[in-house]
Amino acid sequence: MSKYLLRRSLQLVVVAFVISLLTFLLVHLLPGDVTTQILGPNDTKANRAILLKQLGLNFPLWRQYLTWLGAVFQGNLGNSYLNHESVTHILATGAPVDIELIIISQVIAFSVAIPLALVTSRKPNRALDNVSTTGTFGLLALPPFVIAPILVAVFAVGLGWFPATGYTPFTQSPATNIHQMILPSVAITFGSIAVYYRLLRSDLISTLQQDFITMARSKGLTSRRIMWRHAFRPSSFSLLAAAGINIGALIAGAFVVELLFAMPGIGLALVQAVEQRDYLVVQGLALVVAIAYVTIQFVIDFIFTIVDPRVVRE
Amino acid sequence: MSESNEISRRIFLSRGAAAGGAVVLAGAAGSALAACSSSSTTGSSTTAATGSKPGVGTGTPVRGGSLTVGTTGDIDGFYPPANHWDSNGIIYANALYDPLCAIAADGSIQPYLCQSVTPNATFDSWTLTLRPGITFSDGSDLTSAVVVANFQALKASLLTGQALVQVTSATATDPMTVVFSLEAPNPRFPAGLTTQVGYVFGQAMIDAVKAGNSNPTPIGTGPFIFQSREPNNHFTVTRNPNYWRKGLPYLDQITYRPIPDTIQREATLKTGGVDMLQSSDPGTIKRFGGRSNYQVVDTRTGVLGEPTMAYIQLNTVVAPTNDLRVRQALAKGIDQAVIQRVFGGGYATPVNGVFLSDSQYYSPTSFPAFDPAGAKKLVAEYKAEHGTPSLQLLTITDPRLGQVVQIIQQMWSQVGFDVTIGQVEQATLATDFVSGKFQAATSAQFGAIDPDLNYVWWSTTTAKPVGSIALNFARNSDPVIEQNMLTGRHASDTATRVKAYQTVNQQLAKDLPYLWLGQYLFVEVATSRVQNFANPTLPSGAPQYPFDEGIFVPTQIWLSK
Repeated sequence: MSKYLLRRSLQLVVVAFVISLLTFLLVHLLPGDVTTQILGPNDTKANRAILLKQLGLNFPLWRQYLTWLGAVFQGNLGNSYLNHESVTHILATGAPVDIELIIISQVIAFSVAIPLALVTSRKPNRALDNVSTTGTFGLLALPPFVIAPILVAVFAVGLGWFPATGYTPFTQSPATNIHQMILPSVAITFGSIAVYYRLLRSDLISTLQQDFITMARSKGLTSRRIMWRHAFRPSSFSLLAAAGINIGALIAGAFVVELLFAMPGIGLALVQAVEQRDYLVVQGLALVVAIAYVTIQFVIDFIFTIVDPRVVRE
Repeated sequence: MSESNEISRRIFLSRGAAAGGAVVLAGAAGSALAACSSSSTTGSSTTAATGSKPGVGTGTPVRGGSLTVGTTGDIDGFYPPANHWDSNGIIYANALYDPLCAIAADGSIQPYLCQSVTPNATFDSWTLTLRPGITFSDGSDLTSAVVVANFQALKASLLTGQALVQVTSATATDPMTVVFSLEAPNPRFPAGLTTQVGYVFGQAMIDAVKAGNSNPTPIGTGPFIFQSREPNNHFTVTRNPNYWRKGLPYLDQITYRPIPDTIQREATLKTGGVDMLQSSDPGTIKRFGGRSNYQVVDTRTGVLGEPTMAYIQLNTVVAPTNDLRVRQALAKGIDQAVIQRVFGGGYATPVNGVFLSDSQYYSPTSFPAFDPAGAKKLVAEYKAEHGTPSLQLLTITDPRLGQVVQIIQQMWSQVGFDVTIGQVEQATLATDFVSGKFQAATSAQFGAIDPDLNYVWWSTTTAKPVGSIALNFARNSDPVIEQNMLTGRHASDTATRVKAYQTVNQQLAKDLPYLWLGQYLFVEVATSRVQNFANPTLPSGAPQYPFDEGIFVPTQIWLSK
C-alpha cells in the first residue's frame, strides 16, 4: 500500500509541474495582452513598453516562467495586474464558495441518485424505472444556465422562498449562507443526479445477477440487506470514478452558476482573469485548481483501494 | 489638462462580458477616463412610482436607512492614478470622492470641491481656489498641496498621464490656490476636472502607494466612508459624519452589489435583494416601465454633448473597407430600424451621426439611408474591378450582439457581400482595434459631455498603419476632421464650436468609418421607496446633470418610510 501511495504521490508532482507549464504557455498564446486592458485609451507604443518592463513581461517566456515558478515555490502566487489583489486572497475568498457549492450539490445528488437507483434496479423496466430513466435523460439535457433562471423565476421571484442572487460567508451568517446556497447548488446538481443514477442503476442491475447475490437470497437475507451490504459496494466503482471527475470539474467549472447568482467563486474569478489577460491570476488559479483536481483523483483512487483491495495488487 | 485625451472609458475594457455589463457593443472601444465626463443624459424618462417625476424625491428628505444597489460589474480599485473608472466605476467613486468640478444640468461646468475656476486671458493658465474647511475621511485637510500631489501622481501614471498631457505644471500659490499651466489654450479645461483625474484623493493614499501598497484604503472627501469590500461580492460605505456639505448625505449606508447578468439583477430587485439597479439593456425599460412600484430613468432624452453610440466600425486602410464605395454600400445595406428593434428593444431612434436631434451640435448629414438597390450598384462597381467584396464582421461573445451581427450579415449578403462572422473575447477585440487587425466590428463609444473629448479617437495624429498601435481604430485620417476638432478645442465662442463639430459630424458621414446603428441606452430602476436618485444639486444649489451615462450621485438620495 505504501508503495502504491508513494507512486501516486510522485505522479501528482509530475502532473502539477506539467500543468503549470502548459497553463503558462496557453495563457501567453492567447491573442491580446494585459497592457491593452490596463492602458485603455493610453495605449501608446511608449506606454506599452514601459508597462511591459514594469510587469516583467519584456523578458523571454522561459525566464518569466522560471521567475513565476520560483515565486510559487516560496508561496507567492503573485498579484492581479489590474486590481492588485493577491492570487492567494482571491483563492481564500473564492474557494469557500466553490467548496460549499460542491458539497451541497453532491450531497443532494447522492441523496437522490443512490436511493433511486437502489429502488429501480431491483425491478428494472417497470413504471418507476422507466419514469426515472426518462427523467434523468431530461435532466442531462438541461445545463445550469437554463435551469438557474427557471429556478430563480419560480422559487425566488414567484414564490419568494429564496434570494435571487448573493453570497454571505458561512462564518458571517450560517443561516443566510445556506439559504443563499440552495438555488445555485440545485442548479448544478441536476446533471450529477442523472449521471450518478444511471451509472449506479446499470451496475446494480449487473451485480444483482451475480452468483453471490443468488447465494445471499438463498440464505434468506432481506432485500434491503442484500442491496446495501452485498450489491451496493461492488456496484459503486463507476459511481466513485464519475464522482471524482465530476467534483474535480466543479472546482472551477461552476462559473456559469457563479456568474448568474453573483457569487464570488474561483470559477468566476478565473473566467474574468482570462478575459482580461490577467496572466498571474490565471496561472495561479489554474495551478491550484489543477492540483486540487489531481488531489481529488488521488483520494478517489485511494478510496478504490478500500472498496476493492484488488486495485493495489493489480 | 488635455481634455482631448481624456476619454470616456465606458467601453474600452469594461469588465466586460464578464462583468457583464459587458457594456460594449463591441467591446473595445470605449474609453476610459472620461466616463466621468462622458456624455449623457439627463435622467429622462419613464415611470414614476407615485405619479411624480421618476428619480425626483417628493416630500421632506428622511435621514437614515441603508440602500443596496445592483451594479453591472465591480470596480477594479479606488486609486485614481491606477484604476479604470468607467461609468460604473464613477458610480462607486461618487460615494467616496468629490470632483473638483461637476457638470450642471444646463451643461456648464461648475466648481464642486473648488470655489472658483478662473482662466487667464489666453486660456492657457487656470487658477483653482479650493473651498475652505473640507477634510478627508482620515481627518486631514483639503489643501492645494494635496491637489498638486494628486496631479503629480496622475501625471506620472501610464493610465492617467495621457489625460493630463497638456498640463505642464500645477503649482500651489497659497494653501487654497492651485494654478494649472497648459501648453496650449484650452477654454474647456474645467471639463476635464469632472472626470477621473478631477476626483481628489487623500495624501495618505499616495504615501501608501509609494510605500509599496498598491491597494490603499480609499480616503476621500466624499459623502460616504469606505467600510468593506469583497471583490465580485459587495462594496459597503457608511455615512461621512463630517461631510462638508451640511446636512448631507441622508443615507446611513450604501452597499453596491455587482450582479453581472441583467436578468438576475432584475430578479434581485424584484425579490428585494437590491433597492435599485443599473442596466444597459433597453429591455429593462420594457420590463419595469409602467409599473407603479418602480421608477425608471433612462437616457433616451436629455443627453448633454454626445451619447454613447452603437455602430459598426470599419477599418479604412484594409481591403475591401478601404474603398469608399464599399463603405457606402455597407451603410446603404443596413436597415437601421430593424437593428434598433433587436438591439434597442424598440426604444432607440434613428441616428445620422454622433449627435442626437436635440443637441446643439446636431445637423443634417449625408449618412446613407437604407438603400439596398444603391448598395447593390456600388458592390457591382467594386466587383467589376476587384471581385466579390468579402469581409469578416467581428463582435464580442454576447448573445444580443450575436443576433445583431447575424442580421447584418444577412443584410449585407443580400446586397452582394460575402460576409463571415467572428465572435471573440473583448480583450482580443480590443487588441485587434488598437493594432488595426479587423475589417468590420461592432462597437459602442463616443459618449462625451464635450465633443472635444473624442479628439483622440478621430484625430489624424492617432491614425497609424496596421500593426502599429493607434487609438484612431478606424484609421480614418481626415484633415478636415482634424482641423475642425482643433478649432472646436481652441474656440471660446459657442457658434464657432457648434459649426466645427457639425462639420466633423458631416465629415464622418462622408468618410463612413462608422456605420451608426443607434444610441446606446443606460437605464436606472429603483423601487418607489428610493427617493431623489436622479435629482442631485451642486454645492451652489443649482441642479446637477443627473444621469450622465447612467451615473448617479448618492449624496442626496433618501429612503421614504
